[in-house]
Amino acid sequence: MSTHPLTMSASKTDDQSAFFWRKLHSLSGIVPVGVFLAEHFWSNSYVLVSPEKYDAVGQELQTLPFRPIIEAAGIWLPILFHAGYGFYIWGKGKSNAFAYPWMHNWMYTLQRWSGLIAFLFIGWHVYTARFLTGGRSNFVTVHDDLSNNLYAAFYLVGVLAASFHLGNGIWNFLCKWGLAATTRAQRAAAYLGAAVAVSFTLAGILIVYSARYNFHPFARYIQQ
Amino acid sequence: MDTAAPGGGNSGRKVVVRVKRRPDTREEPRWEEFALDWRPHMNIIICLRDIAERPVTRDGHATTPVSYEASCLEEVCGACAMLINGVSRQACSTLVDSLEQPIRIEPLTKFPVVRDLVVDRSIMFENLKRMKCWVPLDGTYDLGPGPRISPEVQEKYYPLARCITCGNCLEVCPQVNENSDFVGAAILSQVRLFNAHPTGAMHMKERLAAVMGPGGVADCANAQNCVEVCPKQIPLTESIAEVNRQAIREAVFGWLLG
Repeated sequence: MSTHPLTMSASKTDDQSAFFWRKLHSLSGIVPVGVFLAEHFWSNSYVLVSPEKYDAVGQELQTLPFRPIIEAAGIWLPILFHAGYGFYIWGKGKSNAFAYPWMHNWMYTLQRWSGLIAFLFIGWHVYTARFLTGGRSNFVTVHDDLSNNLYAAFYLVGVLAASFHLGNGIWNFLCKWGLAATTRAQRAAAYLGAAVAVSFTLAGILIVYSARYNFHPFARYIQQ
Repeated sequence: MDTAAPGGGNSGRKVVVRVKRRPDTREEPRWEEFALDWRPHMNIIICLRDIAERPVTRDGHATTPVSYEASCLEEVCGACAMLINGVSRQACSTLVDSLEQPIRIEPLTKFPVVRDLVVDRSIMFENLKRMKCWVPLDGTYDLGPGPRISPEVQEKYYPLARCITCGNCLEVCPQVNENSDFVGAAILSQVRLFNAHPTGAMHMKERLAAVMGPGGVADCANAQNCVEVCPKQIPLTESIAEVNRQAIREAVFGWLLG
């Protein structure tokens, strides 16, 4: 390829596949994986109302039409792609947070570790809650699982990792898709990501607490 | 003010400097320690120059002057980027009094070492060419004056033109390493500059095609170290996000709307 100025337009076509997969990776963390996480927390938050309501919502989700297709295309494949390509990206970077301990550099490193922790947790969570129960997870099985201290601790770690990963991922996504382009917009995006991470963490802790200790603060909604 | 002969300082204060030496790249690097006479407002270049004037290590062994690059001595040429106490920065603007001793001086790690502190940064120029960071002007006849640029636009983009290709932004970037061909923040910022230039914008599509290719803008992982370390305070993270937006727009709508 010549690099003479006048031949600029006549250059070869660059391989843009990495660009495509990188941006898809960034997007897939928000839609559908992040959206699923929000739905998952939302559905599970019905435990705050009552065990019966919780089981009814679970039943509702289990009887969705086209459920296998929705699960495969909307959850399994995106999570596996997001995780797999994420590990590939991790392998191409070299974290230097100790040498340059600025906040976003720490976030860069934590994003990778939280992704790994969340991925391990999700694998274990699917195994125990989905396969060990034969797909019939309900309040009783969840309550039993969370009565185990180690299980409950791992749930909290998983909630924290997933919430942080999503919150920081939102900030990353907004920067990497050029939606938050100015320094001011990127700061606002960081606050948005932090708000998401904190709210998801608090909601997750509340749900775990509720299922473990039979704590149903919104039970009175039913009597109305 | 700094004409006192090395070794003849009157304050008695010493500056201990450890330099990672590699006079011959076929050999492994080694450390040499020097004790220099302290002087007010001493910077790292003065340390290296003092060593050159009297190349004797702290324990009295004769050695050779340290090879390093420096030119302007006022942070506008970019030549003297090196690791000082583990941090990538310009030696000319790094004051000894602001550092913990012994001061460790090493060459940048993301570029091939030529000798001692001298590194080969020509990859940056190659990447500027690869990402088409120029405005084609040369031809067989006079093309006439280009479009005028309003003062507002000039003011917005002038900071990008201050880039001195020092390489600090690449040195601190976790995405720039031997596993990746990421071009780094400085080059992406030039893509933005030339896309914003009214004549340069005529070749925006070719530039975006390059920047969406291997080592391009998608390899940025948003650690944002570049903007922290840039000696010219260039808004590098804004540049990367802007180039991201242009590339995304091209990727999403380019095939659809032309």
